[in-house]
Amino acid sequence: MKTTVDARGLACPQPVLLAKKAIAENEEVIVLVDNEIAVENIRRLAVKTACGFSVTEKEGGVREIGLVRIGATGQAPVDAGAVAAELTCAIVPEKETGPIVVVLSDNRMGRGDDVLGDVLIRAFIHTLAQLKPLPATIICYNAGVKLAVKDSTVLDDLQQLAKAGVDILVCGTCVNYFGLGDQIAAGRISNMYDILETMAGAARLVRP
Amino acid sequence: MEAPPYAVFLFPSVSHALKAEKILKEQGIVHKLIPVPRHISSDCGVCLRVAVAQQGLVAEALQGLVTWERMVLL
Repeated sequence: MKTTVDARGLACPQPVLLAKKAIAENEEVIVLVDNEIAVENIRRLAVKTACGFSVTEKEGGVREIGLVRIGATGQAPVDAGAVAAELTCAIVPEKETGPIVVVLSDNRMGRGDDVLGDVLIRAFIHTLAQLKPLPATIICYNAGVKLAVKDSTVLDDLQQLAKAGVDILVCGTCVNYFGLGDQIAAGRISNMYDILETMAGAARLVRP
Repeated sequence: MEAPPYAVFLFPSVSHALKAEKILKEQGIVHKLIPVPRHISSDCGVCLRVAVAQQGLVAEALQGLVTWERMVLL
């Protein structure tokens, strides 16, 4: 028996689970997937279940995977737990495990009351220094640059973050606008290119 | 990171904490407004952290001006 599984557009680990079910019930299976992680997971499944494996690139990033049982070995019972343990969905989320970027676009947290907003941003940045994992980058723009000045109430937290390896980008245009050129005491002056690239490359943007 | 010996003062409200902070600022007592540590429960989410050595000074400064709930050593 031969069957086709269309696993395009499905999130990991769905494709490999569907493939596993299909090859348990059929001699030969064609699986359509649209990402490399699914290919690698199914390749591993093939090794695990002693199946023949082939992959062909199709149009639009689609990969057509062929799985064929090799004699009786293809029917070797598959330990579901072992397969699950082998799944490497973890590498998909390059985006999920990538850098966390914190954006400080104001010197207060939230809107509604400035005094409260000041209390909250101080608590936020203090707690940020204890976050695990730490963000890769903190970006300060607009009134957020005021957090990085010499007499900022959060200066020591920002400096501690910087010391721990967090890159702090301070918007140069904003520093110039507020006339704070000689008062920035944490982070480095940056520009829109770096700021936008950093934001676009982030797995997650965190905004207080 | 090694935690330096700190004491936190807990207040019945954010306003109390802010009032106390103002007093400490005026008196030049080094302090920091931080979220109440997880292991301590308090309705007010923020507290004032000071060096343990300063706790007597802080208590004195706040005496009669701001009520605080309690003081906890970290």
